[in-house]
Amino acid sequence: MDSRLSNSSSSTHHSNSKKRKKNATANNTNQKTLGVAWGSKSLSASSCSSRKSPFSDFSSYMAHKNCKLQNQFDSEASASAARKPIFSGVSIFVDGFTVPSSQELRGYMLKYDGRFENYFSRHCVTHIICSNLPDSKVKNIRAFSAGLPVVKPTWILDSIAANRLLSWVPYQLEQVASNQPKLSAFFTLKSSKMSEDTFTNALCQVEPDVQDSFPRVGQLKERHPSEVGEMVEVCRQISNESNDISSKKTDVFMMEEPIGERVICDEEKLAEANSSETNNERNTEGELDPTYQEPSTSFSIPCSDNQNVHQFPSSEATGSSKQCHSTLTDPNFVENYFKNSRLHFIGTWRQRYRKRFPTLSTGLNNGISNSNKSDIKSVILHVDMDCFFVSVVIRNKPALFDKPVAVCHSNNSKGTSEISSANYPARSYGIRAGMFVRDAKALCPHLVTFPYNFEAYEEVADQFYSILHRHCNKVQAVSCDEAFLDFTDAMVEDPELLASSIRKEIYETTRCTASAGIGGNMLMARIATRTAKPNGQCYITPERVDDHLNQLPVDALPGIGYVLQEKLKKQSVNTCGQLRMISKNSLQKEYGMKTGEMLWNYSRGIDYRSVGIIQECKSIGADVNWGVRFRDMKDCEHFLINLCKEVSLRLQCCGVQGRTFTLKIKKRRKDADEPAKFMGCGDCENLSHSVTIPLATENVEILQRIVKQLLGCFYIDVKEIRGIGLHVSRLENADTSKQGTEKYTLKSWLTSGSASVEKQKYHMGHNKHNSDCANCASSHGCIHSQGSSFQIDNKILNIHVSGDPISTPPPLCQLDVEVIRNLPSEVFSELNEIYGGKLIDFIAKGKGKCESSSSLGNSLEDDAATCKEEDLPYSDPIPLNQIFSENKAMQHERVLGSGHGSCSQVTHNSNIERDDLLPSSLSQIDASVLQQIPEDLKAVILEHLPAHRAQDFCSTPAICPGRINQDSVGVDTSKNCPGTVNHALNDSLWAGNLPSWMDKFKDSSCLRKLGEIYHRSGFNSQLSSVLPQFLSEFHHLDLTQEIYDETVNIMCELLKQYVKVKIERDIEEIYICFRLLKRFAVKSQFFSRVYNDIFPFLQAAVDDNYGGSLFMP
Amino acid sequence: MQRKENETPQGQAASVLVEFLEVAITAVVFLKGVYPSGAFERRRYMNVVVQRARHPQLRYYIHATVSGLLPFLQKGMVDRVAVVFFNTDNVPLEKFIFKLTVNQSYGSSVEGVDLQISLRSFLAKLSVSESLTKKLPPDCRWEITGNFQLLPETGTSKEANFWIPTDTKQWEQPLFITPIRSMSSDPLCLQFYIEHPSLSESSVL
Repeated sequence: MDSRLSNSSSSTHHSNSKKRKKNATANNTNQKTLGVAWGSKSLSASSCSSRKSPFSDFSSYMAHKNCKLQNQFDSEASASAARKPIFSGVSIFVDGFTVPSSQELRGYMLKYDGRFENYFSRHCVTHIICSNLPDSKVKNIRAFSAGLPVVKPTWILDSIAANRLLSWVPYQLEQVASNQPKLSAFFTLKSSKMSEDTFTNALCQVEPDVQDSFPRVGQLKERHPSEVGEMVEVCRQISNESNDISSKKTDVFMMEEPIGERVICDEEKLAEANSSETNNERNTEGELDPTYQEPSTSFSIPCSDNQNVHQFPSSEATGSSKQCHSTLTDPNFVENYFKNSRLHFIGTWRQRYRKRFPTLSTGLNNGISNSNKSDIKSVILHVDMDCFFVSVVIRNKPALFDKPVAVCHSNNSKGTSEISSANYPARSYGIRAGMFVRDAKALCPHLVTFPYNFEAYEEVADQFYSILHRHCNKVQAVSCDEAFLDFTDAMVEDPELLASSIRKEIYETTRCTASAGIGGNMLMARIATRTAKPNGQCYITPERVDDHLNQLPVDALPGIGYVLQEKLKKQSVNTCGQLRMISKNSLQKEYGMKTGEMLWNYSRGIDYRSVGIIQECKSIGADVNWGVRFRDMKDCEHFLINLCKEVSLRLQCCGVQGRTFTLKIKKRRKDADEPAKFMGCGDCENLSHSVTIPLATENVEILQRIVKQLLGCFYIDVKEIRGIGLHVSRLENADTSKQGTEKYTLKSWLTSGSASVEKQKYHMGHNKHNSDCANCASSHGCIHSQGSSFQIDNKILNIHVSGDPISTPPPLCQLDVEVIRNLPSEVFSELNEIYGGKLIDFIAKGKGKCESSSSLGNSLEDDAATCKEEDLPYSDPIPLNQIFSENKAMQHERVLGSGHGSCSQVTHNSNIERDDLLPSSLSQIDASVLQQIPEDLKAVILEHLPAHRAQDFCSTPAICPGRINQDSVGVDTSKNCPGTVNHALNDSLWAGNLPSWMDKFKDSSCLRKLGEIYHRSGFNSQLSSVLPQFLSEFHHLDLTQEIYDETVNIMCELLKQYVKVKIERDIEEIYICFRLLKRFAVKSQFFSRVYNDIFPFLQAAVDDNYGGSLFMP
Repeated sequence: MQRKENETPQGQAASVLVEFLEVAITAVVFLKGVYPSGAFERRRYMNVVVQRARHPQLRYYIHATVSGLLPFLQKGMVDRVAVVFFNTDNVPLEKFIFKLTVNQSYGSSVEGVDLQISLRSFLAKLSVSESLTKKLPPDCRWEITGNFQLLPETGTSKEANFWIPTDTKQWEQPLFITPIRSMSSDPLCLQFYIEHPSLSESSVL
């Protein structure tokens, strides 16, 4: 019975409450102000509050507010009695949504002597509390956290529970804690260390446990904190033990952190050819490389020679005084700017060089690793032109050879331009690069200055390199005037003689002098050049290395810059000899792993780099920070258009396209005066915004559009802009990106697949013969986890290395019809092409066969006898059982085993190069192991499986319960298989943990897909979360298949029962599902039929339960 | 949010629910804009920002009504709680309905945090649901009604006397349902949806 009652119904006619209304509106404005100020630090808040407050500006307002908040906090804190000083000295800032809420956390801090900051400040806050971070903050965690620990709120709760301050380390936010590699990272790890995989897996298992325990507050409260600590400790122990694997992994993670922040363009070494061991070392070196710059070269501007992007910090001045000087007056400013830039010349020179010596620079790769390993004493020659920029200019003016000469941009009377390069006579007067011309003239009144002559530089550099390449086939260009030559293979009798002949030739051709250093490695060669200069040569034989280094000041070593030198000085280390006294361990402790090792190695003359590794640039861009002045937005936009043109040209020059675009702006500081240097940038703030687009481009118009948007993000007064830079990163090769990246085409993964197929065949055969021995379980099931994975891995690598992508795909007869049929159409057509069109026939033939194969899943559970009749060797359940029990014993070590035999056909097709460790389909996974894995881990594994193995995907879940059953009871499979599942009829399609419809519908291709997606999402989720995915993938399914009435009926039945289950308790879910269905009914005939069939039923059900019909807009 | 330990799970759920209803009803009233927005102030409940009525009478009405429901909620007698909006002719225009099911046989204790998270999602969803609702004409009235499964006998308790039977203001035309949010957990199961008359009718209004 349903009766209605009403409480005193309150009427609120507006007329009744005139007075209140007035009151309310008055309060209204007040409240708004409060709300805004409360919510953000936005400027609008400041304008609002300053209007009626005594605060002069926003910052004073904020200072006052913070002060007031602190006072409030203090008074509250003193009011709360009997507190324990757990958190004394701790000051937290809560970022975003947390459980418990920030207010509760504040309460805890009050109670236990901590501090709570409402606004983040590097100086007051000691810990940042948050439960979740957006990706952008994770990526740039330093900018967000300012290096402070980012900790989960459970830290506070647990500390209170433990009644003491616990270490925050285990509570660090997973997103931030880089020492917790993700499971997927382990699977995709292409390291030759795979042999330790059992261990890796163990690590995997522990980690999710630990992670799991964090987010659940409720659980944690009950759990004794020490237990958590223990678990964490175990985890850490493991990761310590596994230094070999995980530390490398973390290195990789670390590299993504802002180490390279200051380096505008770091170049990656194309060292894929090498084994991963050396590879890693190389990479480490690669990190350091950009700073690897000999300090005594002719210019002291810290411009890395590897950079393709150039900053113009201080040395710019226009060539002739007639020229227009700024963006204000010169419409072609950008163009002229780069025409007159020396650094631009150095940077773009590399591309020219590469074009000129393409075979030489790329053909080097293969031999490198060999020479590295051999014991032959290597001979490295380092050649460097003497004050290149000056000597080239005066090479035709012999009269000036012994006169002080400098190169600078302009020769104006004020002498405000800077010296870019000076020759040795000039240097003897104390003239250095970067000096103002007027200061230099004061030191040396008869100094002769010249402007740049870029054509000449180009010519000389080309001559220089032709000579080098003539003498040696292994040349690594460092800069336009500097190179390394490797003579190890050339078996040179007397390196000194060779060096002098090269120098002589250079001098005769170019009339410029060069110095050369010879050493056992690149480091020694470079150090030798240093002593050789000017115009000399020096050979440091291995015997003399120690002597030579002993007295060498530390800053002569590459990679030691000003900061590092100062630090070393504090330890009273001035020479390499002193540096050698310090142990490697303490160096690494003091300066970090990589730097420490580098110091240790370099001070002993050890250098593992080898000559000739080609470097790819990671970003391309252009910066202008001289002469940038804008009057209004129009000027700025005009300038940006030109900048885009320049960048686009550079991209085209390198033949690449990019996806991430970063706009950097130098903004004049508020209190900065007009810079001393004419039109310079002065004291500036550096701002940047970036955007990533899905498709790589080099198109000028797209660039311009993006840049315009980016500029909009700055909210900046254009008059304040002193410099602009545009950089493009995430570069892709223009050719390949046009055709779709080579790497991911079917062909290339068939290549890697076929390599492993051989391997598997072997195991397969092996398996059949010994099907009763315990061995087979591991050899069959764990193909990928034992030694073989290592071999496969190598093969794949080798194939990549040899650069020979064509391989034979598996023969037609080995293909699984079912797989082929379910492939997306584009993949199918590609495959068809590979097979020369035979695939279509194959499909047609296979149609009959496929019927039987699709019934395979059924037969497996239904009746083992049928299996035997069909004579399908891979579904014989008896050895299976044995394998399985064997596996069970090992399941704690191995996440992924096998047990299911039906992989034989599958694996031939579906080896995905990416997942070396993962089995190629779910059928290879031990279902019972999978069952025991925590949900989130399961999802990760499922995600990494190829999606197109629809058939066994569905059959596996159906088998799962049976398996477990059979194992625990120990009865034979064939008898014990749950036929009951099949008999469960329509009434309980949604019953059980594993809804029975998934089993029922697997022979219908489209619903099988649904089952698969449902499975992937982890069984217990709701249909509404699965449907969108299914519907969007529905189009990729075999559309040629006709829509059978039966399929529609099944779908309807499924939905009907879902409605029945959910209508009473979760109408929202139903609503969402049907809104989705309705949306897709427009696009798909199938769904429109389903929708129309089921709609009346739905409305009736809603009417029964809610007395109305569902509103479907 | 501290609760007594000796309460039954239903009791716990009911007291959380009462608190929640008070906030949610205020949110509905705020959402419909019956009063100027200045009549509300921002507060934090369950770690989300909500509105609270500033006017004592309004606050009292909502508070008293909902807390009057508490004993009945505990017994599981309340079927639904509705916030009904009328036009000047007392014709209902829109109803916001909380349909409740309290599982009386549920034994174990209530996980406060879980319940909070679920209820919070109602508030979050509600705050963005304005587009689902109809625009109300100016000068309308509203009231809170409760649908009981049985009539509480007057005199059995003090609270029961507050509730007076009311004539059912039924929809005169077929009605439509727009679900906003559902939650089904033990012991509390809550559906929140809007009822409004069919479109043809609304165009007449």
